[in-house]
Formats: sequence, C-alpha cells, structure tokens
Amino acid sequence: MPQPTDLLQGTLDLLILRTLVLEPMHGWGIALRIQQVSQEVFQIGQGSLYPALHRLEYKGWIRADWKASENNRKAKYYSLTRTGKKQLEVEIESWDRLASAVALVLEQG
Amino acid sequence: MLKEFLTRLRFFIAGRSHDEVDDEVRFHLEQQIEANLRSGMSMEEAQRQAAIAFGGVERTRAQCREIRPGYWLESLLQDIRYAIRSFWRNPTFSLTVVLTLALGIGSTTAVFSVVDRILFRSLPYGDSDRLVSVGLIAPIEPEEFMLGGSYYEWQDNQKPFESMTSEIGAEPCDLTEHNPARLDCARVEGNFLPTLGVSPVIGRNFTANEDGPNGPRTALISYGLWLSRYRLDPSVVGAQIRVDGEATEVIGVLPKDFEMPRLQSADILLAQRLDVAAQRHADPGHPMWAFARLKPGVSAAEAKAALGPLFEYSLRLAPAPFRKEVHLQVRSLRDRQVHDVRLAAWMLFGLVLAVLLIVCANITSLMLARGASREKEIAVRLALGVGRMRLVRQALTESLVLSLAGGIAGCLLARILLRIFVAMAPDGLPFLSKARIDLRILMFALAISILYAVLFGLLSGIRKVGLEALTGRTRTALRHTVLRRWLVIAQIAVCMVLLAGGALLARSFWNLDKQSLGMNAENIVTASIALGQSSYPTPESQMAFFQRLERNLRYGPGIAAFAISDSLPPGGYHRDQVYASLRVEGRPALSSGTGGTVVSRRVTPEYFQALQIPIVQGQGFTDEEVRSNDRVVVLSRSLAGRLFPGQNPLGQHLHLHNGAAADADPTYTVAGVAADVKNGGLAEGDEPEYYQLRREQAQDWDRSAVLILKTTLPPGATEPWIRSQVASLDPTVPVDVKTLSEKVGKLADRPRFEMLLVGFFALTGLLLAVIGLYGVISYFVVQRTQEIGMRMAVGASRADILRLVMVNALRLIVPGVLLGMALALALSRLLSSLLFNISAQDPITFAGVTGLLILIALLATLIPGSSAARVNPMIALRHD
Repeated sequence: MPQPTDLLQGTLDLLILRTLVLEPMHGWGIALRIQQVSQEVFQIGQGSLYPALHRLEYKGWIRADWKASENNRKAKYYSLTRTGKKQLEVEIESWDRLASAVALVLEQG
Repeated sequence: MLKEFLTRLRFFIAGRSHDEVDDEVRFHLEQQIEANLRSGMSMEEAQRQAAIAFGGVERTRAQCREIRPGYWLESLLQDIRYAIRSFWRNPTFSLTVVLTLALGIGSTTAVFSVVDRILFRSLPYGDSDRLVSVGLIAPIEPEEFMLGGSYYEWQDNQKPFESMTSEIGAEPCDLTEHNPARLDCARVEGNFLPTLGVSPVIGRNFTANEDGPNGPRTALISYGLWLSRYRLDPSVVGAQIRVDGEATEVIGVLPKDFEMPRLQSADILLAQRLDVAAQRHADPGHPMWAFARLKPGVSAAEAKAALGPLFEYSLRLAPAPFRKEVHLQVRSLRDRQVHDVRLAAWMLFGLVLAVLLIVCANITSLMLARGASREKEIAVRLALGVGRMRLVRQALTESLVLSLAGGIAGCLLARILLRIFVAMAPDGLPFLSKARIDLRILMFALAISILYAVLFGLLSGIRKVGLEALTGRTRTALRHTVLRRWLVIAQIAVCMVLLAGGALLARSFWNLDKQSLGMNAENIVTASIALGQSSYPTPESQMAFFQRLERNLRYGPGIAAFAISDSLPPGGYHRDQVYASLRVEGRPALSSGTGGTVVSRRVTPEYFQALQIPIVQGQGFTDEEVRSNDRVVVLSRSLAGRLFPGQNPLGQHLHLHNGAAADADPTYTVAGVAADVKNGGLAEGDEPEYYQLRREQAQDWDRSAVLILKTTLPPGATEPWIRSQVASLDPTVPVDVKTLSEKVGKLADRPRFEMLLVGFFALTGLLLAVIGLYGVISYFVVQRTQEIGMRMAVGASRADILRLVMVNALRLIVPGVLLGMALALALSRLLSSLLFNISAQDPITFAGVTGLLILIALLATLIPGSSAARVNPMIALRHD
C-alpha cells in the first residue's frame, strides 16, 4: 500500500470547499468524508482541520451554524457561502491547470 | 475583498469564545470515539485512537486562536500588560530609563526648536535665498553699510543683481494726532518692497515720485499698527496721519510677518526721499544699508567678484587713510541676520548631541543589564515553548512602552525647557521669543523615541539565550559587560567635555561680572529721554527743556549728584570717530591708517563725580566753563597717553575733526585727564575716549539725552519721582528710567545665558554619567556576590572588598577622564571667542573639573561598594 500523500499546502482548502458543495457538514463529517472519498489516500491530521475551517470562515467562504446533529447533539455545521461557491470554481480551475501542467511535464520527461 | 474585510471585522468585534472551539473539538472527539466503539474497540482503546487521530488538542486550540482576526491586538495588549507588570516590579529601572529618555528627548526637542527658529527659519520675503546684503565694511563699522556717494553709482552699473535697494535706518518718530504715540519709522527707497518680494496686504507700494525729495509724503503702516490703532479698518488706506507734524497719506499696510532686513522694529515705512542727484556728488553721502536680489544662478561670491570695479570706484572716493581698511562685503541676508548667533546655535547643537550620546549610552547599558538579569526568565519561557518571534515582539513592546513614556515626558520637559530658555535669553538673540514646539519637532522627538525602542528592543530581543541559562551559571553576560564598560568610559569622557566647557564659561562670566568698570554704578538712576521732532524743533527749545528738567531734579530728595550725557558706559550706543581725525595743534595728523576708534561723550561737569570717575590730572570741567564760550575737553588716560606721550596734556590745544572745514573744526583745550572707563561693552577691549563739555549753548544740545542721578534713596523710590517730574513738564515725552546696574546687568545677559545653558547641560550630563556608572558598578557587585562572599570567607576584610569595588570603578573613571580631557582640550578652542580673560585651556579649570568628576564618580560607586562590603559570606556562598 502506498504511503498516504502529504496534503499539499492549499489543497486542504479545496477539499473542504468541494466536500461542502453537497450539504452542510460538521468538522468530523468533513474529515471522514475526505478520507472515504479519497480512498484513504488523504489522511487528514484531524486537529489541523479546524484552523483551516476557521480560516475559511474568516475569509467568508463558508458559514458556521450550531445545529442539532443526527444523534441529537449540538454540533457546528459548516456550509458554503455564495463567495465560497465562486471561490471553489476558481480553485478547481487553477487546480486543473496545475494538474495538467504537471501531467505534461511528466509525459515529456 | 470588501466582503472578506467585513467578515473579518465582524469576528474582530464580536470575538469568539474559547469555549466554542472547545465544544467543537469535544464533539469531534466524541463522534470519533463512538465510531471507534462501533468498530469494536474497547472504551479505553477508542479514546486512545481518537486522540491519536486528532493530534494535539492544545495545538489546535492555539492555532485556532492565532488565526483569529484581532489576535495581534490581543497579544499586543497582553505584551503591554506584561511589560507594565514587569516595570512595576522593577520601578528603579523603569524610572531611570524614562527619566533618561525624557532628559534626552526633552533637551533635544527644546534646543531643536530654538536652533530651528534661528538657523533654519524661512525669511518672510519672496524667494529669500536670492536676497543678499551688500556694502562696505570698515573697522569702525564691521557690519556692511553703504554711502550715498557710492550707492547710486553701484545701483546703476551693477551686473549681478536683478535689483538693488536701500534703507537709511529706523528712528523714533511721533504720531502727532489726538492720542499721540511714539513709534518707529523706517525710511526706505521706493523699490524696497518689490526688491524684497513683499507686497502690501492692502493698498500699494511707493511710486518713484513719492520717493523724490519734493514728492507727496506717503507711508505704509505695519500690520500691528493697523490692528492696534485702526482695528483692521481698510479705509485707513488714503487716510491722512501726522508723522512728526507732517501730513502724510497712508498708502498701504504691510504683511503681518513683515520685518526689516536688519530686524529693526518699524511701525511706519516712509519713503527716504533722498535727493539722488545731490547724493551722487556728496562726499561721503548719506549712510545707508543696501540689499539686492541676485539674478537666478548667480552666487553671492560671484556677485562679490562682479562688484570689484565698482568697489574700486568707491575706494577712490574714500580718504586715503581709510583705503586699506575698507573691504567689500556681499553675503546672504540670512548670514547677516544670524552671524553672531550662529556660534551660539551651533554650541547648543553640540551640547545636545553630547547629552544625547550620554543618554544613548545610558539606555543601552541599562537595557543590557536588564537583559542579562532576565536571561534565566527568558530561558524558562523558551523551554516552555514560546516562539522566538514572540520573545522579540515582547522585547520590542517593552521598549516601545518605555520609550513612549519617555517621549511623552520628554515633550513635557521640552515645553518647560523652552520656556526657561526664552525667559533667560538676552534680547540680542533674534526670534528666540518666537520659538515654538511645532508639530515637526514633536514628530522628531517621537521618531527618536521609536528609534530608541526598535534599537533596544532588538538589542535585548535578538540575544541568543541558550537553555544552559536555566542553570543560572552562564557567563554569556561577560561580553556585554565589556560593552557596558566602554559605554561608561565614553559617558565619563563626554561628561568631562561638558563640565570643562561649563566651568570655563562660568569662570569667564565671573571675570566679566567682577571686572572693574572704572566707575561706580551703585545707586545711579538713569533716564533716557528723546524729545519729539515737532514739539521741540530747535536746539534752543531742546536745551530749554533739559535745563528746566535739571532745575526740577537737581535738588530733589536724596539726589547727591546730577549730570546729563548723550550716552553711558560701559556698552551700547555712543558717539565714535577714528583716531586719525584727532590732531594736536602744531603737529601733523596721523599719516597712514585710521588708528582705530575713539569714543566721545558730551557731558555736564558733575558727570565724573556722579559716576565716581577719578580726575587724575587737572580739574575736569567747572561751572564757569559751562557759562563761557571756551571749548574744553577731558581726555581719558589712555587717549592722553597716546596723544601726548611723555608730555603734560593740560592746556594743550586739540582739533577733533581734522579734515573738516575750519569752522567745523574748532580748537579745544585739554582741561583734565580722567581715569579709563570700560566703554566697549563688557567683554570687548576698551577704546580711548574724550569728553566734551555740555555748555549753556544751543549747539551743544540735541533731541536726546540721558540723565544721570546719584541718589542716596533706594532707586525704587527715585524712579517714579523722575517720571512724575518729566511728566509735569511735558506728559507726551516718553522717558526710559533704569538703574545703571540694570543696564550693566543687561550687557551680561548673553554671557550669563551661555553659561547657564552650558551649565545646565553639564549638570544633566554629570547626572546621567553618574547614573550610568552607578548602574555598572552595582551590576558588577551583584554579579560577583558569590566571589565576594568567597573572598570574605577566606579572610578578606570589608576594606579589602570596598577597595576591590573602587579599583574596578577607577578602571572606568580614569580612562574616561583622560579621554575626556583630550577631547575637551581639543574642543575648548571653539569656545575661545566666548571667553573673557581666561584661556580656553586654563589649567586650573581643567584640574578642578577633573578632580570634581573623579570625586563625584567615586561617590557614585560608594553605595554599591558599601553594600558589597556588607555582604554576608554565609548567604553569598549559598547563593547559586
């Protein structure tokens, strides 16, 4: 099994935004989802998720509300704002550009 | 962008409680534990795995806090709180730093305010950098002047100037209307204001016709007069006023900041109305002062060279004896205004620089000592995981708080100092009374304190503290100790320079104050009177006024002697002429050179008795001579010795105005010789002098005179009485009553100012240097407590310990004093022009200052020294 790749700087933001497109989610859910969807490639340091979430919140890309969770506990749910949605498009586009550029280099290599 | 800012602002204001993060983290962990339990782990294992997956809870919490908007403010406040707490714990340190900074910033700011006004202020003229003062200088008048016989020739033929203008001086004049007033009237050429680049606020400038001898009389009035007398009424333009009895039309008002180029006070500007055609042929012509505007790109030196041929022309007009001693002068107007103030201003600047050096050295050394004593604390904080950036920031915050406190205290001190300077300053220093602490200067002070802050903050923040400092046994402080020792040596050296300068000026002032004036100024009240031109138009009426006044005053209460003169020793205005114009009958006049200046006064017989000037030969003036037609003079001893070496001067005949027409140069008979009296100011050399008798003849009198009354009553009682007597004769005549001691004291104002200023800085420097020395020695003692204890344990006596400390202090004091002495000897030459009757390298002064400095420095070490001697060896050895 390959070693889990270290999260690139800035990739975490993209992953969080992408995860939140579907529905509002709390921190643990986001961590779980990223892990599952990436088939355990991204092992998020769960502790470092929260500073990232707060940073995005301060930027106004996501919003947080306290709501009751599925097991009826009070949890903080993050959801994408309008700016966040726009930002996600920008991030995806720049990621694509980066990925195709890297792919190009690898093929040529 | 805006949205992001607003979001940040919302969080910044609303904040976010720490509990919120905790709740979120707790929820996360609980979810994880539940998930783990579901996958079949035991409770213990589930908790363990959840914690591992999450990583450090504390770290997350800290990271969340750090990315909050407003975190910087929070940590800044925390830093400030911490700084204030730590200053509070160590008040001596903080107070010393704040006071030292306040002294440094305060004196710098105050002096900068003063120097700025004197050296760097902008003159109130258009494009003032191109204005120059042009003229001739001669031994009798070292400040450039012009003569009508040359001026117009120069004005017509000069090349380097755009325009050239002149004024013929400012004199008292009377506004003879209802509510009469004594004012100052300056007389200027028609193109005066345009050349200076000044335009009237309302009205217009003189026309060429108005400047002619037969033109209509017109005047511009000063803004001050417009305000005080006409309440800024614009209809004053076109109004008729009476100046010295002549109807004059007001044609304009001068700008508020207008000043005459030679800084005379002037309420009214009159056209000088000289007859130009007559002046061109006059010899020497009307005395005047010329100013010019340089053409763009021409320097004063180039202008001077270009004026060479015209100067040659003027030299040919001058009498032969003068030619070698007359020179051409072209210098910027600013130079003319500040020339003799410049030395004082630079001296001030130097003083402040010296004090600033001491301040910097002191602060640095204090901060180093504090840094060394806090090494352990810093090591503990590093070990607890505080980031180094945070430590540097903390150190910066601490010094910023300190230096801002110092800066604010400094600004307050500057205000006080400035007020003291202005109160102390003699009249001769122009603009000082207008000195203000302006915004630029305030910023300057704040910039200095912030610079200090950054410097010291970095100094104490950047220092590498190893973890071994935790043991408290490091010697990393040693390196700083060496730096501190040099700083103290430098402080003592600078202090030595300041003290030497202060002591030299103090002794010079002492000499000045205690010198013999050649007369007795005690109990002399003087009254200066200048009669109005219109009320007393003829010498006869002027003589009649003064004679009536004499009759009323002479036998008044307590008047022991009464005399009238035209001027008073030892300084200020007096008539003078060149020695070459005196000629002993039967002998040729001096053939070459001018022979220097001779002072003269016209006095009534009791002059010598009133001022107690001994008559050493002959009998002086008698009352018979007052009523006769005889022309008699009394010579000063030095003049008699020069005119009649080895002869008896009594009865000799003398001409006083050699070269003038025969009827203007009558023969005088020498009636006596008086002892020499100081007559060239307090510090300057004395000139030979002669006294003419003031007889009961109109030709011997003019508008102004000074009355001299020797009184047996306190002067305070005599002064109002004199005023009332003058007023009973003519209430419109202004009279200036002062005791002669006051007048003499005023002459000493300037040296007193210089002495007090240097003295103030010397004492400040001494105080700071003592603080610095005390700090270093106490630190030395604290650092070596253990060693001292050990020495005492093996038998060293208290005297031995005291000696140890003192020797250590002397190792700083002696090199400092030696260095300072060398510096002071080199620098004191700069002071020599301010010194009176004392050499700039006076050995007694230097020895005294050295002794004083060493004594005070040793006293400063006595306190830490004796506390070292009281060290209890048992406790000291247990000290880790």
